[in-house]
Amino acid sequence: MPRKDLLDIASLDREEIEVLLDQAVPFKELFTRSVKKVPALKGKSVLMLFYEPSTRTHSSFEVAAKRLSADVTNFDVAQSSITKGESVRETVETLQSMRTDYIIVRHKSSGLPGTIARLTKASVVNAGDGAHAHPTQALLDAFTIKEKFPDPTGKKVLIVGDILHSRVARSTSTILKKLGLQVSYLGPGSLVPRLGPENIQRFTNYEEAMKWQPDVVYLLRVQMERQDVQFFPSIREYHKLYGVTDARLEEIRQRGLYIMHPGPVNRGVELCDAVLDYERSLINDQVENGIAVRMSVLYHLRPNA
Amino acid sequence: MTVFITNARIASETSKDLPTAHILIQDGVIKSVGPDQAAPADANVIDAKGRIAMPAMFDAHVHFREPGQEAKETIQSGSEAAINGGITGVVMMPNTSPAIDSGTVVAQVLEIAKKNARIPVYTSGCVTKGRHGKELAGIDGMRSHGVKMLTDDGDSTGDPAILFRAMQYASELGMFFASHCEVPELAGPRALNEGVMSYKLGIKGSPACAEEIIIDRDIRLAHATGAHIHIQHVSSKLGMETIAWWKARGDVKVTAEVSPHHLLFTDEHIGDYDTHYKMNPPLRTKADNEALLQGLIDGTFDLIATDHAPHTPFEKSQDFVAAPNGITGLDTALVSLYHHFIATGNFGWDLLIKRYSAEPRRMMGLDVPTITEGSAADLILFDPEAETTFTADFMKSKSRNTPFLDQTLKGRVDLVILGDEILLQR
Repeated sequence: MPRKDLLDIASLDREEIEVLLDQAVPFKELFTRSVKKVPALKGKSVLMLFYEPSTRTHSSFEVAAKRLSADVTNFDVAQSSITKGESVRETVETLQSMRTDYIIVRHKSSGLPGTIARLTKASVVNAGDGAHAHPTQALLDAFTIKEKFPDPTGKKVLIVGDILHSRVARSTSTILKKLGLQVSYLGPGSLVPRLGPENIQRFTNYEEAMKWQPDVVYLLRVQMERQDVQFFPSIREYHKLYGVTDARLEEIRQRGLYIMHPGPVNRGVELCDAVLDYERSLINDQVENGIAVRMSVLYHLRPNA
Repeated sequence: MTVFITNARIASETSKDLPTAHILIQDGVIKSVGPDQAAPADANVIDAKGRIAMPAMFDAHVHFREPGQEAKETIQSGSEAAINGGITGVVMMPNTSPAIDSGTVVAQVLEIAKKNARIPVYTSGCVTKGRHGKELAGIDGMRSHGVKMLTDDGDSTGDPAILFRAMQYASELGMFFASHCEVPELAGPRALNEGVMSYKLGIKGSPACAEEIIIDRDIRLAHATGAHIHIQHVSSKLGMETIAWWKARGDVKVTAEVSPHHLLFTDEHIGDYDTHYKMNPPLRTKADNEALLQGLIDGTFDLIATDHAPHTPFEKSQDFVAAPNGITGLDTALVSLYHHFIATGNFGWDLLIKRYSAEPRRMMGLDVPTITEGSAADLILFDPEAETTFTADFMKSKSRNTPFLDQTLKGRVDLVILGDEILLQR
């Protein structure tokens, strides 16, 4: 049965993940041509419903939709009447009346894209909801890793940082495990939950985590704005204990490890400046691959008639 | 009015036996109960056909939302939901708008109840003005209108010094305290239990210790002041064990209640962000369910109370964090407890009557009805062979926010008699 919505990674099986990733390959090849567009979604409308500010994910989806020849509309949440009091149902009914085919939604509330998906015939793509899921980030991460490791089975990815508040950690670890990789978490005790993550080793000490011998070090953005109370004493202390410092970068270089980051990076927090020039940094690959997998996702989904 | 109920099986809090007898009710009083008697000529004869007669239930924890939030519930609709569920008395919580924090508001509420409710409706009063935790509410004003229970339910009384002084003051006036237990700083957005599910759903959870700390704090305050403390809607095993520990000491007057949903559901029922499993304290784990059930049986919990908390469909259709806490309970409590615990043999009618009819009335200082000669007529007939489907139409509450919506469970409340009136007959 064709899939209407992409809300999380948990509901995808390995086969469907492989389809989404394989399909992204020819889309990526387009990017080197002079004409980067295909008419796959010509005449279809894509609506961007971003309740949270985002530059990267927003532009990535917008570029992806336009390269598929879809018409893209931004539903300007900041200037619309949407406040806490208005029901999601009313907003969705408005969108339904516009006969939108695809809705790309980002919201601070976990689970909200699912609510919207149940209320509309349009295909809904979750572009990040609270600390719940960010499935297209997970797909682009998996795509990026598979470019380096065509058979990634058994490869080890160490995800570092604020696991507790991170939808990226949740979705990316889920997809990597479905593809047969191993995942561990590293971060301050206050930000790496003891209960919840299944079959994921938990480290709170950088050196211990390195002994696990990861192939990829995946740094999460330290999101100060999500911390309703303080989870660690200072940025300086975080950088010292969990950041990729110059010395740690040297060790990473010697071991030949890849570094990934969902962006935007905090220099001097989760990484030092030199990481950005590190030859095995995949951060820019992630951005480019993001467009390709998002094209693949939009192409894959089928709105209800 | 004379009512003669034939062939009823009589249940009581003191015996597991259900002896068959006829019950004669005249002018609101049970005149006789026995196997060998004939119906008086003028009697309304109801053949129970082996259905179970028992004293009606009493719910010591309900939110009737009036004044101020009548879209959710009114005293009238709430009390009709109670009757629908075999309940003939309730204690309202004071988190209305305005809050029930003075003799004036109590008088207003009781006047509405007298006019619109067919059962006695009691109300608790706030510990602090507006439930803000800053200044003491009008305690003697409320007492003079019959208030016995003081609580800032919905929240804990944040400042322990205020609660300490309130206990010293109001205990001398014969009042007692009921505590909603929660450290707000630990509870986060107060959406669900902290654990596997909160991680999976990506919402900050409220750890059980947020509740357990205040359970212990408030019992300690009662211990120090000589007050009677009643712990509301306990959800965690360790919270229950804290109460048991204090009860075993025997030097503080502490009672406690458990709600049907904390016996029946866990945070896993939330599934895909189903707000009908969102309440505060939150649903926890299977181990908590099992421990709480033992606590209900062994007497750590004196009573069952629903925490009946109606909300409109719009409010509950919001996203999980924004949706308000609470579910309705009056329409469904008795049948759901029968279906899940009595029909399955976990406990008998005697325990249910003790915990949901007799003990809550004792806590409130009320007469306890029984099916015996001379007792006030305050009874129900329950059919254990029938079923109830909780459709939207079945529910008398204004709201439908219950996990039991459209479920069919074993058991049915068929008759409710209070005094000289038949309140419900199916």
